[in-house]
Amino acid sequence: MAKVETKTSLAKGDLRDVLREMLLIRRFEEKVEERFRAGELPGFLHVAIGQEACAVGVCRALEDGDIIASTHRAHGHTLAKGTHPNELMAELYGKTEGCSHGYGGSMHLYDIERGNMGANAVIGGGLPHITGAALAFQMRGEPRVALAFFGDGATNIGTFHESLNLAQLWKVPAVFVLEDNKWAESTPESQHSPIRDLSDRAKAFGMKALKADGQDVEAVYKTARQALEYARAGKGPVFVHLDCVRLHGHYIGDPQVYRDKDEARKLAETRDPITLLRAKLELSDEDFDELDTEVTEIVEASVEFAKNGTDPAPEDALKNIYA
Amino acid sequence: MPELSYREAVRDALATAMRQDDNVFIMGEDIAEMGGSMGVTSGMLEEFGRERVRNTPISEMALAGTAIGAAMQGMRPVAEIMYEDFMTLAAEQVVNQAAKLRYMSGGQLSVPVVFRTQGGAGWSPGAQHAQQLEAWFVHIPGLKVVFASTPEDVRGLLWSAIYDDNPVVFFEHRTLYGIKGNVPEKIEPIPIGKARIHREGEDVTVIATGRLVHESLAAAEEAEKEGVSVEVVDPRTLQPLDEETLVASVKKTNRAVVAHEAVTRMGFGAEVASVLQYQAFDWLDAPIERVGAKFSPLPFAPVMEQFVVPHADDVLAAIMRTVGRGD
Amino acid sequence: MATEVKLPRLGQGMESGTIVRWLKSEGEQVAKGEPLYELDTDKVTQEVEAEASGVLLKIEIPEGEVEVGRTIAFIGKEGETVAAVEAPAPKPKEAAAESAPEPKEEQRVSEPTTNGRIKASPLARRLARERGIDLSSIQGTGPDGRIVAQDVETPAPAAPRAAVPVTQARSAEVTSTPLTNIRKTIARRLTEAWTVPVFTLTVSADMTRATELVARRRELEPDVRVTVTDLLTRVCAQALARHPEMNVQYTEDALLSFPNANVGIAVAAPQGLVVPVVHNAEQLTLTQIAQVRGDLVARARDSKLRAEDIDGGTFTISNLGMFEVDQFVAVLNPPQASILAVGATREQVVPRDGEFFVVPLMTMTLTCDHRAVDGATGAEFLKSIKAFLEFPGLAL
Repeated sequence: MAKVETKTSLAKGDLRDVLREMLLIRRFEEKVEERFRAGELPGFLHVAIGQEACAVGVCRALEDGDIIASTHRAHGHTLAKGTHPNELMAELYGKTEGCSHGYGGSMHLYDIERGNMGANAVIGGGLPHITGAALAFQMRGEPRVALAFFGDGATNIGTFHESLNLAQLWKVPAVFVLEDNKWAESTPESQHSPIRDLSDRAKAFGMKALKADGQDVEAVYKTARQALEYARAGKGPVFVHLDCVRLHGHYIGDPQVYRDKDEARKLAETRDPITLLRAKLELSDEDFDELDTEVTEIVEASVEFAKNGTDPAPEDALKNIYA
Repeated sequence: MPELSYREAVRDALATAMRQDDNVFIMGEDIAEMGGSMGVTSGMLEEFGRERVRNTPISEMALAGTAIGAAMQGMRPVAEIMYEDFMTLAAEQVVNQAAKLRYMSGGQLSVPVVFRTQGGAGWSPGAQHAQQLEAWFVHIPGLKVVFASTPEDVRGLLWSAIYDDNPVVFFEHRTLYGIKGNVPEKIEPIPIGKARIHREGEDVTVIATGRLVHESLAAAEEAEKEGVSVEVVDPRTLQPLDEETLVASVKKTNRAVVAHEAVTRMGFGAEVASVLQYQAFDWLDAPIERVGAKFSPLPFAPVMEQFVVPHADDVLAAIMRTVGRGD
Repeated sequence: MATEVKLPRLGQGMESGTIVRWLKSEGEQVAKGEPLYELDTDKVTQEVEAEASGVLLKIEIPEGEVEVGRTIAFIGKEGETVAAVEAPAPKPKEAAAESAPEPKEEQRVSEPTTNGRIKASPLARRLARERGIDLSSIQGTGPDGRIVAQDVETPAPAAPRAAVPVTQARSAEVTSTPLTNIRKTIARRLTEAWTVPVFTLTVSADMTRATELVARRRELEPDVRVTVTDLLTRVCAQALARHPEMNVQYTEDALLSFPNANVGIAVAAPQGLVVPVVHNAEQLTLTQIAQVRGDLVARARDSKLRAEDIDGGTFTISNLGMFEVDQFVAVLNPPQASILAVGATREQVVPRDGEFFVVPLMTMTLTCDHRAVDGATGAEFLKSIKAFLEFPGLAL
């Protein structure tokens, strides 16, 4: 995916491209759900359906050399950061052509060349790595920023507090992006946090905090640009609070017994970021279908690619343990 | 040959690396003005400044994780975890992250980080400030684990650990910081994974780590008077283990004692004994003895601490049992 | 597996106790904690409780004094088999093996076992296996009567264990020949020799001149068939004269030095290996040696050797060259301090000064008793032998 010129906001011309990107992620995730239900995909899978604007909006704002660390819900971030759908799908199928060569799977997607320091299966596991990476950039005088994605559930864990505290203390060029979808698996925010506005947590560290509607890709982009510029200028880390919506369950197959079905339906109708952008662009059905067909073909091709991929040799399990 | 204390030897490795390599820096709690709780980094703030001698808040997870993050970007940080007991706090990052990042990425990255820490009983530090937890970390594929017992070894091995591209858990022992020993004029890197034979003998091999290396040498002297010739070997690297040297020694002497300060039960010594039993089965003339701490947290009162922790006479008793002259 | 009931140390300094009487009989059920027997220590008579529950399978020691740690009984499951326990020293009231509930299969007599399994260290097992020694014929001195390497290498001379009746063959194919005295003696002496710390030295000699010499001698004196062995005997005798420190025997207190070279020659006689001795060989000519040797070997083959023929040897030569053996290591002939093993003479290509020559080489291996002889001494001696063979003029 070509990187657009870095600007403070997205041009109208870019937005069609952005929609395509978000739609690609959507169709990819839907395909993943379908293939998982067909019994073809091993392991745990967490799709980012509903959170496409966060991934695309933020990643479009990054510059070359910037790096990200993601969560267990990493497909969107991985695609938005530039990994080809073929490599991602191949990884989900456990093939050597996968971005982690079959060693990681959905929760351990790495694409170091493209600045993706990895998904993490441990909540908050990657946060200190971002503080550390930003520290390295600072010590070496590089104009790069390290950016972490995490969810509202992660704001309670030790690494969150320790990593943000240290990042702010040392004023490293880091951006911490909270995708606040109000759910930590099956636990609503009201049951996992005693405060209502999680941005207060950043303020507790004296860290600059920005907020945006996570379903509005333009707003996400703008806010991300702001945050990155601030950090890059050496002013210190920034906390970006994105209000977003997880339209499906925590994992594929999650019946979401804990969620109000009506509320979920309403969110799907009113807060789908793709629907919102489509409406904003006033795209005709034909235009949209054209995009849809395009991305669907890419997704289906990625499944073909993955299915025809190479299984690792069993003994490969003993490689890559030590450098 | 110059003489350095174990503490000075650690500092020498760190400082020399930092002088010639901008990628090397240190971080830890109280390592700046105070020079570290054990005085290891004393003087380093003055020489290298705050950028490279980074005092951290009390946040072991961030300490370890930030070091990991910087290492992933090509730096060679050495993170000090003040007490081995606090490795428990850093463990998520050391075990779930550092040990596995290379693997899970299919070999795309490496994590050249060193986690330095110190432990051990002596002078009543109490149960939460004295543990020897090497058994946990040797059990994690992806980590290398080093435990040197002399100034020469600790300096040469720390150097090798810094320049190893893998995460290394580097154990030091608190009662050894003051011991002095000869070191080569210039730092000679000691390969990770090679044992050292301190003393040659014919009748029984004692494999010892950390403080127990010195206890075993003392026990060997006593055993000599009883006509028992003891070979003392320090593996120095616990993971990967120099099985070749250990097995060859036991095949020579036909008897083995494994001694460490850590709790005997389920300890590192159990793995060594198993390796020896398997590879030297037909050479064993006696069961393999293990010497270690009794199965209890470390008590505070000195007489109780003495009781729990192993000493030279425990090693001597084990030696004599292997030659059929013990109870 | 049955629990061994051992006499416990019931007080500091207690070394033994006297079993007064058993409160339970063989075959009776016993519960852990129940009084099992009455014990007399020098302080008091007391009841001793059972440490396990089960059936009292066997009472090893019905009464009398027992050292602390001795197995006195077995508790286990009904019908479990238990082997007889070896008594370390004869006691008046030892358990008789017959009183035990006899297991169905044949039992070996007197072993340090639990349930028929011999306790021996892995090293001891391997040594026994390599040397063809039956573990059940060895008494263990390790903890709990475990057989350790030392027991295999120097078996205790005392405690005459009953000659274990090897399970006689029941099938038709295997035949068993009782040992002759000669074979027993060979076995005993060579086993003894095996316990001596030895080292071996190997050298090859150019036999060009030696072979010529023997051939010429045969031409000159056809009735006396001089052989290479004779030449060897002469050469070794001269070498012993030159190196008197080789002509010795080790004893516990002193090293015995012999003035004469009495060279024994290993002969394969019909009844077994014998080593007749050429006495004072350093004083005999090659012809005389050949004559003496001829006579001895003839009588050996007719089993007509006398005591004086085989006594007094100080050195032995064992030549397997006629059997095409290249090289071998001979076992010491105790109490001699060394033995020379001689192989066949073979033509080999040998580089000398950048050129290749075809040379008839004979490889000899000297086995030495390291208690009596050091490496350098043996090496000097062997060097002389080689020199004498390569330039026989030096020795004749």
